[in-house]
Amino acid sequence: MTPSPEGRPEETDMELIDRWKAGDSRAATRLVGRHSQALARFAASAGERDGIEELVQDTFVRAFASLDSFRGASTLRTWLFTIERRLMLDRRRAERRTRETVPVQEADHVSEYGALDSLIAEEAQERVRKSLDALSPTQREVFTLRVQQGLSYKEIAEVVGSTEGAARVHYHNAIQTVKEFLRDE
Amino acid sequence: MNKCTDSDIQELLPDLLHGALAEAEKVRVDAHVATCESCQEDLDVLRTVKSAAVFAPSIDVDGVVRQIPPYRAIVPAVEAPARTRVASWLVAATLALFVVGGGSVLMTRQNSSGTSVKPPPVDSGARVASTQPAQSRVPVATPNPRIAESVTPAHPHALALAAEADGLSDRGLVQLMNDMDTFDALPGSEPDPVISVDSGDSL
Repeated sequence: MTPSPEGRPEETDMELIDRWKAGDSRAATRLVGRHSQALARFAASAGERDGIEELVQDTFVRAFASLDSFRGASTLRTWLFTIERRLMLDRRRAERRTRETVPVQEADHVSEYGALDSLIAEEAQERVRKSLDALSPTQREVFTLRVQQGLSYKEIAEVVGSTEGAARVHYHNAIQTVKEFLRDE
Repeated sequence: MNKCTDSDIQELLPDLLHGALAEAEKVRVDAHVATCESCQEDLDVLRTVKSAAVFAPSIDVDGVVRQIPPYRAIVPAVEAPARTRVASWLVAATLALFVVGGGSVLMTRQNSSGTSVKPPPVDSGARVASTQPAQSRVPVATPNPRIAESVTPAHPHALALAAEADGLSDRGLVQLMNDMDTFDALPGSEPDPVISVDSGDSL
């Protein structure tokens, strides 16, 4: 248990979950506040543009509805990423179906940031965005989870449904691509 | 710039960035990065990518929490303990087993008592050629006449053959089979009317 900024010991996710189950709605607020921005960043870096807030909300609603199945084998955040990733894949499948385009594969992700352009003011951010666009969907997921979220390879493997070894390879290839892209810019 | 060959250190750079390394490991990675241009470049790239992750919209935490139903709404408050529910299922399954099993035994006994009584002995040839109605062959000693009537085969010859065949010697069986060879394939008379047990009406 780490100390909070106010000096009080910071409650763990499992303790907050127990409190929420006991009827304390403030525990839910603490949990959502603790993880919502990370989920939003993951969604954005994975290519989601519209409805990120709705996606994060759906992730929490689903997660809280099935909290009894969360045993704490992984961190709560990793578990939330896993749920969010499934929701993103479901969304994309539904979008593709309505557009009657090619069949969707598990690792097939949106690769265009379109509406994001207006949000990125900094030139460096624009360059990073383009460099991430140069990655395959899985590489981008692994790379952003590792670099932006700080997940371990084991946790990344859980989120993307792969192995630690494969996650390492994806990370290695991704950083080489991003480095070359930024060097050539 | 020489490419770094220490893949172990390279893989730890994101952890260094997030302050997730133990002190001893942090000292080791810092010492390596200080002398390795390739890792310094990697670390710069990682810092840039990490800082570029600011474009995600801010989430309305209270709005999200409002959509989350309370735990009691997800898991009903009054729920029988699991052990009680399992015990109830076991009792119900045992009762069902007794009812079904007992009923089957009762039915089997009644059926066997209704069909095991042999008809009076007659010549086998004459017996199989007889067209006497089945009802007349049903033994009067049956405990439940309704059941006995319901299990009586439609064709009386079948019962006569089955009852007598059990007691026949090998020679008798051969004789019976020879007799059966002389039967006509088609019945010599109209089939007997089937009597409904419940209503007694002819169909």
